[in-house]
Amino acid sequence: MPPNRRRITSSSERERKMGQIKRIHEMLVNKEISCVELTKKYLEAIENSNKELNAYITVTPEVALAQAAKVDEKLAAGETIGLLEGVPMTLKDNISTKGIETTCASKILTGYKPIYDATVYELLQKEGVVMLGKTNMDEFAMGSSCETSYYGGAKNPHSLDHVAGGSSGGVASAVGGNLAVYGLGSDTGGSIRQPASFCGIVGLKPTYGAVSRYGLIAYASSFDQIGPITHDVEDAAIVFDAIAKYDERDSTSRGSEPALPTLDNDIRGKKIGIANQYLDGVREDVKEAVLQAAKVYEDMGAEIVYFDLPELKFALPVYYILAMAEASSNLGRYDGIRYGYKAEHYNGTHDMICRTRSEGFGKEVQRRILMGTYVLSAGYYDAYYKKAVNLRGAIVEAFDRAFMNVDVILAPTAPVTAFKSGYLFGEETDQLEQYLSDICTVPVNTAGLPAVSVPCGVDREGLPIGMQLIGKKFDEKTILNLAYRYEQAEHKTIETKWGVKL
Amino acid sequence: MVTREDIENIALLSKLFVDEKDLDSLTEEMQKIVSFADTINSVEVKSGDFDNINNLSNAFRKDEVKESYPVGEILKNAPEQAEDHFLVRKRA
Amino acid sequence: MKYELVAGFETHVELQTNTKIFCSCTTKFGGDPNTHCCPVCIGLPGTLPKLNERVVEYAIMAGLATNCEIAEIAKMDRKNYCYPDLPKAYQISQYDKPLCEHGYIQLSNGRKIRILRIHIEEDAGKLIHNHGDTYVDYNRGGVPLIEIVTEPDFRSIDEAKEYVEKLQQIMRYIGVSDCRMQEGSMRCDVNISVRPEGSEKLGTRTEIKNMNSITNIAKAMEYEYERQVDLIESGGEVVQETLRYDDATGTTSSMRSKEDAHDYRYFREPDLVTISTPKEKIEELRSRLPELPEQKFARYTEEYGIPEKDAAQLTKYRSISEFFDKASEGLKAPKTASNFIIGQIFRRLETEADKEAFDVKTTADQLNELCRLLESGKLKNNLAKTALEKMLDSGKAVTEFVSESDMAGLDDSTLTEYCQNAINAMQAAVADYKSGKEKALMAVLGNVMKQSRGRADAPSVIKKLKELIGQ
Repeated sequence: MPPNRRRITSSSERERKMGQIKRIHEMLVNKEISCVELTKKYLEAIENSNKELNAYITVTPEVALAQAAKVDEKLAAGETIGLLEGVPMTLKDNISTKGIETTCASKILTGYKPIYDATVYELLQKEGVVMLGKTNMDEFAMGSSCETSYYGGAKNPHSLDHVAGGSSGGVASAVGGNLAVYGLGSDTGGSIRQPASFCGIVGLKPTYGAVSRYGLIAYASSFDQIGPITHDVEDAAIVFDAIAKYDERDSTSRGSEPALPTLDNDIRGKKIGIANQYLDGVREDVKEAVLQAAKVYEDMGAEIVYFDLPELKFALPVYYILAMAEASSNLGRYDGIRYGYKAEHYNGTHDMICRTRSEGFGKEVQRRILMGTYVLSAGYYDAYYKKAVNLRGAIVEAFDRAFMNVDVILAPTAPVTAFKSGYLFGEETDQLEQYLSDICTVPVNTAGLPAVSVPCGVDREGLPIGMQLIGKKFDEKTILNLAYRYEQAEHKTIETKWGVKL
Repeated sequence: MVTREDIENIALLSKLFVDEKDLDSLTEEMQKIVSFADTINSVEVKSGDFDNINNLSNAFRKDEVKESYPVGEILKNAPEQAEDHFLVRKRA
Repeated sequence: MKYELVAGFETHVELQTNTKIFCSCTTKFGGDPNTHCCPVCIGLPGTLPKLNERVVEYAIMAGLATNCEIAEIAKMDRKNYCYPDLPKAYQISQYDKPLCEHGYIQLSNGRKIRILRIHIEEDAGKLIHNHGDTYVDYNRGGVPLIEIVTEPDFRSIDEAKEYVEKLQQIMRYIGVSDCRMQEGSMRCDVNISVRPEGSEKLGTRTEIKNMNSITNIAKAMEYEYERQVDLIESGGEVVQETLRYDDATGTTSSMRSKEDAHDYRYFREPDLVTISTPKEKIEELRSRLPELPEQKFARYTEEYGIPEKDAAQLTKYRSISEFFDKASEGLKAPKTASNFIIGQIFRRLETEADKEAFDVKTTADQLNELCRLLESGKLKNNLAKTALEKMLDSGKAVTEFVSESDMAGLDDSTLTEYCQNAINAMQAAVADYKSGKEKALMAVLGNVMKQSRGRADAPSVIKKLKELIGQ
């Protein structure tokens, strides 16, 4: 590069570790590997490892290979390809795919093949996606361990005794286990960030409204948001930029600003807030890792500001009341008439609907439907639903106030590292523990903010620890910029033994 | 206090069958969740103006007809169908 | 003891938009089963509603036409209940922030029926029950509705009938609905209670659902009134319940079973955003409203001196009043046009549907031309009548049937000549007339008419004959 074109920033002086997407892009462009060969590698890896990781519910080799062949044709014809073109990926099984079974990991949707594509999948198809299959999750995204899946939970690629997290456990397990380069998950109360953190990878929950929800099978409509789970922050930015588009089919959609152009910006002078309440009840080693990351930021020239956010203490019940209320309504439509599972033996329509739902939904889903119905029912509405809506307003305002003084908020993604499989639903475990474990992630969904989880260490057992950077609305570019600079400085990602080695 | 009757009532509204034998344990479970939810009632909060998360308004569609789906697609996932209708047989 | 009827109405009116309320499928009535459907209106998982702007506009126009206040901020809510005709298991409707509130419709007896609210919502699909099997067709699912809710202001069945007719008339005038009760594009629920005359306290009410004709509404109300009075008189109590009216037996019966416990668990529809209608937009919609039937009625009776009975007929359908307005434009006596419409034209329109369609060959402009010729005296009344018949048969203009000379009429010397000819020819009749037989002159008149080939004007002829005979 001629000297006069050299950028005069500190960043240009350091070596940047390229993300997986760009590496694959170069491999394809340089014809080191064909897209079909690459895709076959991933399909083979899935074949070999999925029995153990249980990351995929449905694998779609025909779809993936056909998509890959198209990319190879373009390359052979000397056409240029986009960054995401030909990069093998996966979708959480609550994202609708035309003609491809989409189950939400529920018995009630067995055999359901949507007749339309979710907007995100449409957008990615335009980018030349290679879709390997649909990944495991907690049933209807209701859970924090992937264990409420009708198909059994996905396993953590760092330790098969541990869960991959939830609800997007399948995507996290697949990406962490190199059974896909990246995946799209959904985050209602932490379902992208927590499994990303448990599996030692990156998970971005965009601002509510940044990415279209059209085609995402709803859990709680005013919280749900689709986002990428990737190996690297750079990958997350690339995928985010491709899907954060306004969609006329989603009234709550707005799109967002691209994050990739400013990914490597200098972060000197950035103000990073740490809310004391975010550290309450967090396991000591996790807290340490996050505070250590704060030091790294300080070394890079950012300013750390401690502050109070007392409203956090009621974010969890507010979230659960509202999410369950919305869920009870969203899940009313599964009645055995138009799609999915239908009870075999019944007497009359009412009986058929009740049997279908009682047989088709798992226990946790039924529990949340009942609870959601309860908080909306006559006599309880004011005390629970209405009050929770008001408190949600208070939480939004509290974050607004905080962001008047800081650019981003740094917090642990989860109070602990990955649970032992079966722990959450064990005899000795209080049933509320599952809900309580979402304490760090739900405030963001309650306020509709963006947040990215990045690996920041490991615990004694070698399980990854994650931290999250929370941003202002539609300011994904700032949190990704800060996450990228941390990742490049620290390289905390640990490879697993699974899957495709690039 | 969550009662057995509450559970029976919300189960009916939710179109879910609750086994008689599970009713007590479910009532207890629900009581736990309700007590947890009740913690918000210890907080005093002025009536917030929460509208929708990004305070959006007027996301409208123009009144222009687009082609509907073929009936075959509409019925594609129906567990039972007859004469281009979704069908719920009475059964016994 | 005498009992007073107290009733209120909830009326569902299907809006005449091109597309459904939340998707781009057509709203056309009928169609093969499940052919007006898409993933959104059959509630496939993951689909989202997108509000049709015209639905909001039509609802606001309906509110303005019924004297409502329009909400600058409104929102959509979910009404949750599980039934096979409702594909999402909730109906998207409006609960505590409807688009329109606090309006009224004034009846001919001067009483105002207060309108509590008008809100928008989606229609459900259609169920066909056959030997216990249920067939489901979602073509109607998602067709936009407004629900118009009144206060319990009705005190008689006649008031109820007039209200429904007025509501139909207004909705059709402003063009938001065809309000065809037989096709289900207008459906009424009536809640009814009775109380001893003079009492202020409301009795326990029952609700009769989904009635599809004014006749049935009247019959059902009548039956239910009698039933409640009998019940109370015999020491019983009215139970609050939902009823269906059976046309065949003319009776009401209870609709609900234990299976449908109802608690709608309304809450904000999170998939839709706030509806904000600034004042300017409301005024813009107001300016789009046509002159309403009430205003037209006042204009016709007060300004034009048209009898109330005729004015009511002219204003019943927008098609007629628009025809009349055009046909009477610039006339000294608009009543002339009214007489032609209510007389000769109506004779050709047998049913109400014919009248509403107002499908006649003659245009309003052609009738206007005819009226002008009449007013200027160029055309005599009897000629005009004959001409209109021919015009209505052929769709041609008046000038096709009436020549210049016809219109010129007869000059005095020609008239005198014809009259003298007739007197000469009919001496016997003239003699009879002279001897006091008034009627004998009619024969002479006939002779003059024959000579003039109908151009002569009877009163002028008689005047001239009397003049000549008297000489």
